[in-house]
Amino acid sequence: MALATFNFPRTWLRAFMLFTSVVASVPSASWAQTAEARAVETAFGTVTVTGTPSRVVVLSENALDTALSAGVKPLGTVSTRGSTGVSRYVQDKVGTIAIVGTARETNLESVFKLQPDLILAAPDLPKAQYEKLSLLAPTIVPSTAVTDDWRKSVSLYAEALGRQEEIKASYQQLDQRIAALKARIAPGQVASVLRWNPQGPILMSSHLFAGQLLQQLGFKSPALAESLTQRPHSDILSLENLHQADGDWLFLATLNPEGEQALAQARNQPAFARLNAVKNNKVITVDGQLWSSGAGPLAAQKILDDVEKVVAH
Amino acid sequence: MSSSASRPQVVKRSWLICLTLVVLSVLASLLIGAGDVSPGRSAQALWSGADSEARFIVMELRWPRTLLGAMVGMALGAAGVILQSATRNPLAEPGLLGVSAGASFAVVLAISLGSSAATLNLGVAVAGALAGCFLVLLVTQLRGIGSDPVRLILVGAAFTSMLMAISTLILLSDQRSADEMRFWVIGALAGRPTETAYSSAPGVLLGLLLMLPLIRPLAALALGERVATGLGHHPQLTRMSALVCVAILVGTATAAAGPIAFVGLIVPFVARRLVGPDIRRTLWLSLLIGPIIILFADTISRLVVKPYELPIGVVTAFIGAPILIAVVRGHRLPTL
Repeated sequence: MALATFNFPRTWLRAFMLFTSVVASVPSASWAQTAEARAVETAFGTVTVTGTPSRVVVLSENALDTALSAGVKPLGTVSTRGSTGVSRYVQDKVGTIAIVGTARETNLESVFKLQPDLILAAPDLPKAQYEKLSLLAPTIVPSTAVTDDWRKSVSLYAEALGRQEEIKASYQQLDQRIAALKARIAPGQVASVLRWNPQGPILMSSHLFAGQLLQQLGFKSPALAESLTQRPHSDILSLENLHQADGDWLFLATLNPEGEQALAQARNQPAFARLNAVKNNKVITVDGQLWSSGAGPLAAQKILDDVEKVVAH
Repeated sequence: MSSSASRPQVVKRSWLICLTLVVLSVLASLLIGAGDVSPGRSAQALWSGADSEARFIVMELRWPRTLLGAMVGMALGAAGVILQSATRNPLAEPGLLGVSAGASFAVVLAISLGSSAATLNLGVAVAGALAGCFLVLLVTQLRGIGSDPVRLILVGAAFTSMLMAISTLILLSDQRSADEMRFWVIGALAGRPTETAYSSAPGVLLGLLLMLPLIRPLAALALGERVATGLGHHPQLTRMSALVCVAILVGTATAAAGPIAFVGLIVPFVARRLVGPDIRRTLWLSLLIGPIIILFADTISRLVVKPYELPIGVVTAFIGAPILIAVVRGHRLPTL
């Protein structure tokens, strides 16, 4: 009977109708706690979530971080870039978690197997995937850009999880820590975040997560990083233009753990060796999974750890 | 072809043109860059150290790159001419037949097994190129394919994409960044350690020396196997040693700059256009045309996406692909 609807879930409304029929079929024991329903504004329209979901699947690192910060242990997530598991910085917090795909592609069967009651997805989730995922559970897709304030998507996820209080508390902790740390850092210093590769470096946009935090701490960024408002990072910068990435501090992000090796490799390049930050020994190798892919309250604390270790005095 | 009386003049003129272009391409490579050091400043920096920024860019960044480009250009150009003569196929090209991909694949495998020494990479790349060469030889022995240039290229293209796919797979599982990966798939001259140009010189020199005794037998081979045998040559032996020679040249070039496609196709094509199909003329000229193509392509690669750079393999592919189509669509494929 409902087969035709399954085949053509053209609008969110139909998806929603399907969802409500699924919810209605849930045994009445769990029905009690799903009493209060709330409307969450997503990129694909308003999605209704009820109660505090407990079977959560998170399809972005940002959502994973948010769920963990809010005290929810998700059942499944996607692997981080260049790895088959979750980012190193959350590894000890996730417990046993199923990997249901990569950032680019979700395995719908694996998600289905987990029987989620809420799916938190990344802002760039394709519509075709959304339509399928939303048949399984209410799917939250923030309508944010990578250069937006990172708290926007986190707050939206928290709203869907029904755990705004927890996230607000983590914001407060962060704000306090940032204020304290900022007081210990000389203002106006230029800090740039880049990924090294032998043909030249890739400069991360200063509007991304790590850049937003550095800005809050009172750092400035190189003009080139500032100009990257539409894209998360630059192309491979010509070695002749390496000075455009220079600053007082240089955070060198590597996706594999051998950060020191990447630094040694970079130092071999004369154009790198003559940067001011390198000459002044102010290059810090940092975890690329955290600095270029991570986002969320937990990631923020870890990045502040990195900065505090070396920059503050 | 034109009458034999004017031939020496044509050859002389071609040499003059190519020598001029070599000088121009070297100058372009030294003076033009993606940065904000203008050609004028760069030219001054060539003989005065007053402008330390320009001096650094020209001498430390552009000069090693130019040297490496010239070296790689010579190796790939000569390898293209030899490979085309040995297979008697005007489409044969180390990049298209899987020789470069073989070298690249071998290096990727060595790196993922834990090697980091540049010197080891060189030997490994030559071995990989050799394996690619023997596959080419094997395929030419297959009935029907050896005599049909286009089918040989199709086999080579299939082999190349397979090797590239495996290389990509290894690099992916090795958790390397996409950028690092790109080098072993497309090739680039930027950011290679300064020593690369010097450490690859012996390989290129060895390949070129091995080439010398092969020129006459290869020229004889162009007349057909029977004639070559009648003239006292051994076609099979000639072919084998030619492929070893190609492997050394391509392996060295790939270890130094990654796989740069189409240069081995463009260079013999241009050389033939200038001085006719005789390998005794094209081979020497290819030693000039190779660097010209590489250096101009590299200069273009710095200008297209300022302040970034394209890998040179992208530029050579843009020049090479139309030439490949032109050769295939030509009224008749030149017999070599």
